[in-house]
Amino acid sequence: MDSDTLEIISVWLNYGFPVLLILLAYFIGTIIEKRHFRNIRAREKINREYPVVSLDTMPEDWNATASTLVTGSVVISLDYFKRVIAGLRAIVGGRIKTYEPLLERARREAVLRMTESARRQGYDAIFNVRLETSRLANSRGDGNGTAGVEMLAFGTAVRRDSRFAPVADRI
Amino acid sequence: MKFVSRQPREGINVSDTHPLVEAGTLVAGLTAIFLLFAVVLIFLIDLALYFVPPDKEAALFRDWLPDDLVTVSPADTRLDETQRVLDRMAFHWGDAPYAFRLEIDASELANAMALPGGLIVVTEGLLAQVESENELAFVLGHELGHYRNRDHLRALGRGIVFSVVLAAVTGDDASNLGINVADLALRSFSRKQELAADEFGLELVYTNYGHVNEAWRLFDRWDDGDRSLLDIVSYTSTHPQPGNRVDSLEQLARDRGWPTSGPVTALSW
Repeated sequence: MDSDTLEIISVWLNYGFPVLLILLAYFIGTIIEKRHFRNIRAREKINREYPVVSLDTMPEDWNATASTLVTGSVVISLDYFKRVIAGLRAIVGGRIKTYEPLLERARREAVLRMTESARRQGYDAIFNVRLETSRLANSRGDGNGTAGVEMLAFGTAVRRDSRFAPVADRI
Repeated sequence: MKFVSRQPREGINVSDTHPLVEAGTLVAGLTAIFLLFAVVLIFLIDLALYFVPPDKEAALFRDWLPDDLVTVSPADTRLDETQRVLDRMAFHWGDAPYAFRLEIDASELANAMALPGGLIVVTEGLLAQVESENELAFVLGHELGHYRNRDHLRALGRGIVFSVVLAAVTGDDASNLGINVADLALRSFSRKQELAADEFGLELVYTNYGHVNEAWRLFDRWDDGDRSLLDIVSYTSTHPQPGNRVDSLEQLARDRGWPTSGPVTALSW
């Protein structure tokens, strides 16, 4: 192999490979994101009637028979494309638009997991819902760079007494 | 308050800009800013260099050589002889602020360049085509003319910024930064600057030989087309076209009354 061929190969490895990686990350990342959003919408439809509210008080006519803390958390990683574009955006500032769907997915997924957990345990509603987020991990050894985001949804799941149960013990 | 169940509304927290549009805008915008920055930098460097006095410039570039210069063996006799011709030309300048150095670049393309600090580079391709000392003397005198008018600093910033940009893009470390012959060969001077350099060069030739015979015979031959275009394309891309040039040189010699006949000195190679 002559030196020209080696040169061409090295140029391709140096510049072509990262570009290829970005494109690959974009296509795969887009597919995963679309599938996730479809899945979120379907599950939100199922849980549509289930009350998940941020109020910290119950309606007055409710009589809680049981309550517990329910949580739902999710960790989602950035894809390489989003990270590169966010890096470019960081130079000039402004809305990091590629991160917005990521956080949206995380918020809705966390709330869904919390909701599903409460339903499985037989609770009737979740009050005082709060969202917390944190940067979970560093993608680089020097402590910079974000590997992913964690979203935690938590609230108080409440079981109310049945309207059809005997009211004898209720004074 | 009645609880009304609703699905979360879409499109509140997520921008509807397509990610590829976002990527394209950012890449194009940043590239434009980067280029603008480079152009301003080139302009500023050029401007600054014009205010560097020649003696400061000579001190700054005393031992400097372009990074991509492929020099011939120091024992090459052409080196000594060309340097000797150059020294004689420079002697007639009188108060030249530079100690002129000469290097031969091992390149097939005929060209001659005036580089910062009094470094003149001629290519092997040019030396192969000059047939007498008088022809060589005029080429060197022309380059000395660029020094006198300080044309050689023009577009130097372009070379520096090209190197910086190239290093930034390829990720080379900063120690590789420098001015390359390849970049400098790209610059060309205005017609006015070239004519002024020609005038000065021809005056030096006349002062040295007492006549201007054969001074521009090299360009005459090029004009007659006895050389393949490729051999001279490098020189003519940075210098005036041979035909026009010969005309104005003849005109100049007539105006100044410089004799166009006289003994021609042969070259040893």
